[in-house]
Amino acid sequence: MTRFLLDRVGRLGRFLWSGWVGVAGLALFAAIWQQGHEAYGDFILPSPLTTLQATAELLRADETWRLAQATSARAIQGFLLTAVLGAVLGIAVGYSAAAMRLARPLLTIVMGVPPIAWIVLAMIWFGSSAGTVLTTTVVAAFPLVFANVAEAVAMRDRALEDMAKAFGAGPFQRLRTIVIRHVTGQYFPALAVALGSTFKVAVMAELLANIDGIGVALAMSRSNLDVAQSIAWVVIIVAVIFVVEYGVVQPVRAELERWREAARPWGVRR
Amino acid sequence: MSVLSLHNISHAYFGRTVLDRVTLDVREGEIVALVGPSGCGKSTLIHIAARLIEAQRGRVASAYARHGMIFQEPRLMPWATAEDNIAYPLRLAGLGRHQRRARARHAADVVSLDRSDLGKYPVELSGGMRQRTAIARALVVEPDFVFFDEPFTALDVALKRQMQDLVIAAARQARFAGLFVTHDLAEAVRVSDRILVIDERVRGIAGERFIALPAGARDDAAVFATVQAYLKEDPLFAHIYDRDERLAS
Ligand SMILES: Nc1ncnc2c1ncn2[C@@H]1O[C@H](COP(=O)(O)OP(=O)(O)OP(=O)(O)O)[C@@H](O)[C@H]1O
Ligand SMILES: [Mg+2]
Repeated sequence: MTRFLLDRVGRLGRFLWSGWVGVAGLALFAAIWQQGHEAYGDFILPSPLTTLQATAELLRADETWRLAQATSARAIQGFLLTAVLGAVLGIAVGYSAAAMRLARPLLTIVMGVPPIAWIVLAMIWFGSSAGTVLTTTVVAAFPLVFANVAEAVAMRDRALEDMAKAFGAGPFQRLRTIVIRHVTGQYFPALAVALGSTFKVAVMAELLANIDGIGVALAMSRSNLDVAQSIAWVVIIVAVIFVVEYGVVQPVRAELERWREAARPWGVRR
Repeated sequence: MSVLSLHNISHAYFGRTVLDRVTLDVREGEIVALVGPSGCGKSTLIHIAARLIEAQRGRVASAYARHGMIFQEPRLMPWATAEDNIAYPLRLAGLGRHQRRARARHAADVVSLDRSDLGKYPVELSGGMRQRTAIARALVVEPDFVFFDEPFTALDVALKRQMQDLVIAAARQARFAGLFVTHDLAEAVRVSDRILVIDERVRGIAGERFIALPAGARDDAAVFATVQAYLKEDPLFAHIYDRDERLAS
């Protein structure tokens, strides 16, 4: 039990430590930003410090929290729907070679349509409602998750399945103990990408369909020509994505993929 | 009494017949070796016997209670520790955690896998330790029948011997019967009671030989002499190293 806890604490420690590299990257980014600011002036690109102040100011307002929550709730709804649908349909289709062949061209079409087109369609179908946001986020993120899961199931390790069969596992037990574990390897990276795109698309849909949330706030600060505040909103969106990804998705992935950690040579780990 | 019997088994891949009316019996406590050149259908036959594939024609009847299987590659689940891999068949059988742990540890002891290695993932184990894990996984169910599909072909000579001794000891102690596919005639002579020669041209079993050496008297010299006698004097073994890319190099 203590070892279990120590393991997790160690992982958290490593993660925080690797955060320093992230901070270094951010500092570099801020330096370039500052250069841009000095070259183009306050109106085109406010300085990082001004933006930080604008962000702090936004964070002090209750309204900001309400908007962030509204957007997050919609995005997370879309994300969860994507996660569930992608996993269930992906597994179902991945098991059948014929369904796989049928699904591939469909995916190409769905992924080829730009999200903006889906927003327009969804606005026609659902008007300016949460349904529009949900539809566009799911349509934008689902194909990726679905394709990854289906591909992973189709490429599953038959040798391991035969092994399970030799020890008496039925089809359902094989799915539960072998296939699903195999699929998680592709599922979580796909989810991490999907998470980012659901938030981005949710904000875009709010902005275009005029639905109360960060998107609308962004549109408002744009029409007020308040560039610092616009960027501050972007900072808030990125922060929310960061919190969800590193607070939920990555810990679950790390828990399931502990064995991959073991596969890494010692020198590379940090 | 026979614990496994195949009756008139025929199998074809895409219209090409690999096995044609094969019949074989394995008696209680007996280890039967299947030898033959590469591609003659040994794996196909043992997979049919273990019911991993369905024969196109023929009947498989078994009287054993539980069986285990060891494949050519270890086939361990990369995401599970050695202990969880060994306990996998018990998990399938619905045993509780404590019981699984106790029995997995016992099986690990039988194959002399170190306790400290049980918490490691397969990537952290050496090739030999992985194969030991696979053997322990087959033995953990306390089988009365074990299928071996060229389990040691990929191992080096010293390790191979160690593993063979392990199987011989386990078979003697647990008294299981088994079907042992191998390329290596010396391996067949060491571990089995009876050798069946599979031949591509007859698409089935060309003949059988009982090993005259008592189980206790199979030292290197005796095994070597038997193998040489088979290869030089017995026409049944004339073709077993035909087309064998693994020995040709
Ligand atoms: N899934 C398959 N689909 C098509 N042909 C197959 C399949 N499995 C085996 N074969 C063919 O059947 C023949 C027998 O194969 P099998 O694997 O049983 O040989 P083997 O005796 O085990 O050979 P080896 O000693 O090299 O393992 C081979 O010619 C092989 O090409
Ligand atoms: Mg084979």
